Amino acid sequence: MYKRLLDRLLRWTLGLDVWINRIYPPDFNPLYYTGGLSNLFLTILVLSGIFLFLYYVPSFNEAYTSIQYITGAPPFVANAVPYGQIIRGIHRYASDGFIIVILLHFFRNWFTERFRFSRDEPWISGMMLLLFSGFIGVTGYVLVWDQRSQLLVAMTGHTLAAIPVVGGAFQFLLFGGAGTTGLLLPRMLFLHVGPATALYVFLWWHYVRIRHPKVWPPAVWTLFSLGAVFLAAALIPAVSQALASTGAPPRFLAVDWFFLIPYVSLNYLTPAVLVLLAVVIVVYGLYIPYQLPETPAEMGIRDPGVAQVIDANCTGCELCYFDCPYNAIVMVPTPHPGVTKAAQARKLLAIVLESRCVECGICIGACPFEALELPGYLEQDIQEKVVAACRT
Amino acid sequence: MPDLTASAPRRPRVVGFLCDWAVSSEGLVREDGTMRDLPNVTLIKIPCSGFVRPSWLEFALRSGADGAFVCGCPLGDCFNRLGNNLIADRVVQMRRRLERQKFQPDRVATIFYGLHDGPEFVAAVRAFCERIAQLPAPPPAPARRPAAGAPAGAGGAEGASREPQAGPAPGREEP
Repeated sequence: MYKRLLDRLLRWTLGLDVWINRIYPPDFNPLYYTGGLSNLFLTILVLSGIFLFLYYVPSFNEAYTSIQYITGAPPFVANAVPYGQIIRGIHRYASDGFIIVILLHFFRNWFTERFRFSRDEPWISGMMLLLFSGFIGVTGYVLVWDQRSQLLVAMTGHTLAAIPVVGGAFQFLLFGGAGTTGLLLPRMLFLHVGPATALYVFLWWHYVRIRHPKVWPPAVWTLFSLGAVFLAAALIPAVSQALASTGAPPRFLAVDWFFLIPYVSLNYLTPAVLVLLAVVIVVYGLYIPYQLPETPAEMGIRDPGVAQVIDANCTGCELCYFDCPYNAIVMVPTPHPGVTKAAQARKLLAIVLESRCVECGICIGACPFEALELPGYLEQDIQEKVVAACRT
Repeated sequence: MPDLTASAPRRPRVVGFLCDWAVSSEGLVREDGTMRDLPNVTLIKIPCSGFVRPSWLEFALRSGADGAFVCGCPLGDCFNRLGNNLIADRVVQMRRRLERQKFQPDRVATIFYGLHDGPEFVAAVRAFCERIAQLPAPPPAPARRPAAGAPAGAGGAEGASREPQAGPAPGREEP
């Protein structure tokens, strides 16, 4: 059932690729660069965020006015902060773009099953990145401290209170006390900036098993994304709503559809159901790589086995080390010289880290000295097949 | 094209390496590995297009094949991230090497199609076969090779005898 659904989604994904490849050369297919685009948007967010951080004051009295000052809203002189309105807009719309591309990245890698074999770590770290990004988005909306922020705080507190036993403690941890306390905005500022820094830690984890990660989209898509963000910032100025009132929070929520969907769903769900749903979605997301524990044999392909280094032939030339896409090969100082003539003067020896090897055999193609082999696809077997094919 | 589909001549004889994750071989391949539409083409399944050593394409040509190709996923979308880009680069390098060795470099090719692009893949292979069929007859390079020291004979014997003198064999990639 799930397998068939995944097959169909894969068919659609690849069909979309084929369609886009007709328009662009494959080198520029934006769907091949969703990871790089996320990184681009994250960079835009960090740079514009640093700018806003310099002017933002995290207190009830001044948070709202400091943002009005940045944007040059009526009580203040326009352009008192140079390009403040534009940069705030960039921060807002780049965050929307960020969520769009990381969701694209998520679904694309799900449907094309790029979590198979020993590739679960990029998936798990990616789920962490997704969670943190959503959380950062929500805390960012609280920082503005307009009526929407107030409503978000009220709804979040309401939802957390629905968690049995530990709900109150969560509320205390997040807001610094029940209701809105003076600790709220400094804490939100930290929870906006701190997890944004943590994103880079998770990114390191995301990349650590990947050689030559595509961390940046092609220049044309960089310029396109930048232009789209600048254009949106100029055409649709990002504005705050009315200042948060001291009384009851408003009944109306101006929705940012990219970050605040969980809050919209509170119209239809009770908080307890929402919390349960969120937990189920997150746990399921983390479980995706392990849902289809298929061995290559079950998938209808021959089991290649982990690549093996043939000690006698390895010359320590590092070609496999440079080409392995998963950083599964490390070069160590050789304990003894090799056997063949080319291998006798070697300084290094290639070692395959079995836990990282996905058995793709790219190192075999990289090795001109026949010093690597896949146990399931020996060179001899391939050559016999070639000879048999040429004989008929 | 009756000259290709007729089973008797089976020329040009083509060996193809097909990635497990690229074009699905279901309904494309007979039990003996030849393609249903093009019986002169034999497909060998491999775990990733990057797995292919360029020397195997050369080996196929030496063993009597008229052409050899590698099929991988669309460029930029390799299941194993970089395999198809790497094999594309390696085949480009190998074409230069083939030129020096009096093989026509057009006899090797890379073809990139995704899982569900079976018909397009068959069309590309057919075009490749036609291109090869129009090439002039291969120069007597295979005949000249025994003089270079390797034992003669195009068969399993050659494949086995090439194995021991693996590393420093001539025609390998320069370091």
